[in-house]
Amino acid sequence: MDNDRQATAPAALPRRIGQIDNPVPSTDRSNTETPALARLKSHLLERHRGRIVAESIQPAQPACWRDLPADLAPPLAQALARSGRPRLYRHQREAWDLARAKRHLVVATPTASGKTLCYNLPVLDAVLARGRKALYLFPTKALAQDQVAELLDLSRAVQAAGGAGVKAFTFDGDTPGDARKAVRTRGDIVLSNPDMLHQAILPHHTKWAQFFEGLAYVVVDELHTYRGVFGAHVANVLRRLRRICRFYGVEPTFIFASATIANPAELAERLCGAPVTAITESGAPRGERHLLLWNPPVINPDLGIRASARSQSTRIARAAAKLGLKCIVFARSRLMVEVITKYLKDIFDRDPRRPPRVLAYRGGYLPSERRRAEQAMRAGAVDLVVSTSALELGVDIGALDVSVLNGYPGTVAATWQRLGRAGRRLKPSLGVLVATSDALDQYMMRHPEFFFAASPEHARIHPDQLLILMDHVRCAAFELPFSDGESFGAEALEEMLGYLRDEGLLQHQGERWFWVADSYPANAVSLRSVAEGNFVVIDTSDGRQTVIAEVDYSSAPGTLYEGAIYLIQSQPYQVERLDWVGRKAFVTRTRADYYTDAIDYTRLKILDRFEWRAHGRGAAAHGEVHLVRRYPGYKKIRYYSHDNVGYGHIDLPDQEMHTTALWWQVEPDALETALPDRQQAIEGFLGAAYALHHVAALRAMAEIRDLGRAVGDGQGTWFAVMGAAGRGQIQGPDGAPRDPLADQRFEPTLFLYDNYPGGVGLSAPLFDDAPRLVADARDLVGACACTGGCPACVGPVLGADERLAITPRQAALAVLDLLR
Amino acid sequence: MTLKDRLQRLRGTLPSPMASDDPMDSRDRPTLAERLARVSLAQARATRASIPPVATLAEALGAQEIAPGVLCLERRLSGRHQHGRTVLNADAAGFADLIDPGWISPAVDGLRAQDGRTRDMPDACAPAGAAIPPDADLVCLDTETSGLSGGTGTWVFVTGLLRWDGREWCLRQYLLTRLDAEPAYLRAIAAELAGARLLATYNGLTFDCPLLSTRLRLSGLVDPLPRLSQLDLLRPVRRAFGRVWSDCRLLSVERRLLGFERQDDLPGAEAPAAWLAWLRAGETHPLSGVLRHNRWDLLSLAALIPRLAEVYRDPSACAADTRAIATYHRAQGRPALAIQLLTAQRAHLDAAGLNDLALLHRRQGDWEHACAIWEKLAASGDADALTELAKYHEHRMRDPSRALLYATRLPAGPARELRCGRLRSKLPSL
Repeated sequence: MDNDRQATAPAALPRRIGQIDNPVPSTDRSNTETPALARLKSHLLERHRGRIVAESIQPAQPACWRDLPADLAPPLAQALARSGRPRLYRHQREAWDLARAKRHLVVATPTASGKTLCYNLPVLDAVLARGRKALYLFPTKALAQDQVAELLDLSRAVQAAGGAGVKAFTFDGDTPGDARKAVRTRGDIVLSNPDMLHQAILPHHTKWAQFFEGLAYVVVDELHTYRGVFGAHVANVLRRLRRICRFYGVEPTFIFASATIANPAELAERLCGAPVTAITESGAPRGERHLLLWNPPVINPDLGIRASARSQSTRIARAAAKLGLKCIVFARSRLMVEVITKYLKDIFDRDPRRPPRVLAYRGGYLPSERRRAEQAMRAGAVDLVVSTSALELGVDIGALDVSVLNGYPGTVAATWQRLGRAGRRLKPSLGVLVATSDALDQYMMRHPEFFFAASPEHARIHPDQLLILMDHVRCAAFELPFSDGESFGAEALEEMLGYLRDEGLLQHQGERWFWVADSYPANAVSLRSVAEGNFVVIDTSDGRQTVIAEVDYSSAPGTLYEGAIYLIQSQPYQVERLDWVGRKAFVTRTRADYYTDAIDYTRLKILDRFEWRAHGRGAAAHGEVHLVRRYPGYKKIRYYSHDNVGYGHIDLPDQEMHTTALWWQVEPDALETALPDRQQAIEGFLGAAYALHHVAALRAMAEIRDLGRAVGDGQGTWFAVMGAAGRGQIQGPDGAPRDPLADQRFEPTLFLYDNYPGGVGLSAPLFDDAPRLVADARDLVGACACTGGCPACVGPVLGADERLAITPRQAALAVLDLLR
Repeated sequence: MTLKDRLQRLRGTLPSPMASDDPMDSRDRPTLAERLARVSLAQARATRASIPPVATLAEALGAQEIAPGVLCLERRLSGRHQHGRTVLNADAAGFADLIDPGWISPAVDGLRAQDGRTRDMPDACAPAGAAIPPDADLVCLDTETSGLSGGTGTWVFVTGLLRWDGREWCLRQYLLTRLDAEPAYLRAIAAELAGARLLATYNGLTFDCPLLSTRLRLSGLVDPLPRLSQLDLLRPVRRAFGRVWSDCRLLSVERRLLGFERQDDLPGAEAPAAWLAWLRAGETHPLSGVLRHNRWDLLSLAALIPRLAEVYRDPSACAADTRAIATYHRAQGRPALAIQLLTAQRAHLDAAGLNDLALLHRRQGDWEHACAIWEKLAASGDADALTELAKYHEHRMRDPSRALLYATRLPAGPARELRCGRLRSKLPSL
């Protein structure tokens, strides 16, 4: 209740109210809204007017119909008519016309607009009328299983209308060995994922010869998830697929389906390597959509500290549930999912004899647990779902009324995708975007027009990233010998093949490159990450050993260190032992009243400078870096009070990678003149890095975590961190504190890097934009309303630093000014 | 910067110029072992330059070059050829009497040949044959491959075939010496198989045949294999010895059944390296070891067929699993033979074996022998025998009180309660 009191003190919000209180005039909502939703909204508007920065209402949209195509296979047309679909939405008909003309296409319309039929219709028609086959690819096994159920429903309807049965099978890691042959030889539609295509289908394509010879369509759903490293891998897998198809004399048509992104056609073209037509206008009807931007009240104006987003999201969700509305809360991390779940369960699930009303849903749960959760959601047994991005995908969880976003998800596309979870089936819906104190969130709140006007992001992939490309050239060479003059990707193929020959993998004879090694290259290439091997979490309570969760390699060091509290459905487990080599974490159930948060430090060394440009008294450069990430320890944080109640030591191997980065350096003389105190200079760089990181993420249309930031000397000799005491600190490569005066030469370097091994092409365009980034960051810090620095500009600062002669904010401004 | 340098830099195996003045980062530099590995790779590359002509290899192996890059080594063996303790005897009776029809997996009947576009060879699809083809149509096949992982990147570089031509054994081994010669190599093998009806292998259904099919597909040739009936000898061997031996590898078969010990054999796992040594460095010696290994495999296959017939006729003489073989004979419709085998071994049978025998007697209507076995088992409290006796007296002798005597001796549990309850209800009330 503290927050309410603070919020009503007008002094706490001297400036923001005036600037931001700019709601869109609300239109008539009495006759379309369900009473509960209207009551929730008016409750929020009346009680928390000061927190609502902006409001928008998207009017309901009527359906736009088209006739069923005349040449549709008759049993299919009858089946559709009998199931109450005698007509198609406009975009479904457009998809049909393109698919029948053998044009590659992408359907990028909002959630719940009937995208599935856009590809099921031409595919089923091809199966029924011409005996052709189709391959469906989904990013997860669960989605493929959902879809096969839907296809089988449709197939039964077709059979009831006198058509032939359509055989649709999933093919994934769970398909038993004796069933695989039936899938290969009898399946009309095979539903799989890119990983299976990569590891099991393409390297054994001769076993699939019949399937490939009949292949008419390749359907790639959830296109927008194929971004970054994963997308680059999948683009190469599709290059391999098309190569195998050519071998069997077929040229399948690609049908992509995507959530709203700015460049669906471009992304699809990059993925399949051919021109793709986009369908972006939905003909589906839509209920009225209400959206609130919500900024938690300021509780310490000097430090710019606001109430936590978590407390606000919990409050809104609670109000929704009490009015009988179904609500989903999206959090940005798995940890935050568990924390919010706990707070909601403390309110709604106090009686263990009753079925739970609150459910957490995130990656890392075992498939069986996720299936159970999905069923409970579909059955309407759950009132509150707390989720990570896992539910951005098309998992069917039934209708919801309210979507609360705990923090800006990082991209406009993801924001709309999450908001779209509420309001299925034409009902009006409410979305609330709750800002955290992060710079990006606060920027949104200060400029709501940015959010409403912004088009969704461009999804980018870099399929010719050398390491990834080499991996797939290797796999492709195994699948089918390359011929002289063939091409694969943007690099010179002959040179790559020559390299593989020198490694002993290939032999060149008679104008062909033959695979000769005794190995199966696809097994060594994982599409999801560069490092191998998920960790399993094993519960050893009660003397038994039960696997309770899986954690991917890259998140393991930050979540499974010894002493960590690992949460599942908000039940805490303590990690007793971590077997790093065996990829196992042994945990026991515990009753801790705190959770843990790992501290990580990053050190970079410049390997190669590609480009360089002088700006002001400094310079920006772009090149390759070697990065070491270390997890020295963790904080224990008590529930509710969020006090730091202790530290623990983490003993883990360093995580290393090579990636691309851009960096800034300042002439040492100019730095010494502007900021003679090296301690201040360090804090200036840390603050400038914080601001640059956030504006760069916005500019690159990337998520914050796709980019990393670091301050060091560029040689890996020292690196700077915000120490536990809240002061910038220099540390040596061993993590020991280091005196800033210890080195004769003092040349702090500010890095922004691609947070993926090998890089994914983010830093190069940022380098081209460097002057603009510095100007934006200068603007962000300079225009901030705080005194000495706050999480909305240079990151959190100590109260005592407010009164320094040069505040951290001024130091950051000094550094940014030198770079202009 | 060359591609190689770029890759090494990305992978961190090439030291950056800056690293050299930084003692803390010595571990980023390649270790001595890595540097040595690089040097030795360079040596291997240097020797690759001088690969001798295929003719040299043909001479070393005593083989013919039947097409550019394809060698064929032919050996003819008399009808009395001795392999270990076994004589490769294809006498007048032929194989037809020796091969149990139950061992054969029928042909897929050229389904594949019909649906695929016929590319290069006339469609040699033959009509479906009888269950047991004449002996002249039997071919033994064994391959050596470039790896065990499977998939389209695995080569079949030696294919050995052994057949009886009416007068003597003809053993032919095809060796692929150049990668671009594979279509010719595969055509020669397909031609050999064109006249065959039954293909004998050891684990060929799972391993050799799918790989050969893959290679034929890749070369766009018609695959003759789906047209052939398959005699994968691993299956009957596993049935007869799976519970008796620690493994069923062909080497164990040779030692235990054929009395054959290989001298200086090149282990099958080293075959891929031997072929690579030829392809990369022109080494001929390891390949001769591969061919000898393959010949032994083929001869053991041919020797195993008559030996296996003996095993299935008289399992006890070969220390085979009599019970498993009796079960097989019963399933094949030969209950009398099953009874005969089990009766001969009665003294050595365990309770399960005796129950099998009693069941066979019962199915033949021989209640007397069946009951005798059950009584003996029931004496030691065998639950299956007690159940059978209770059923026998209840349903056949219509003697519920006698049946109840057996039923009450069953181990406690719902099965006993159910049976006893029903029997008590049938008893005249006291």
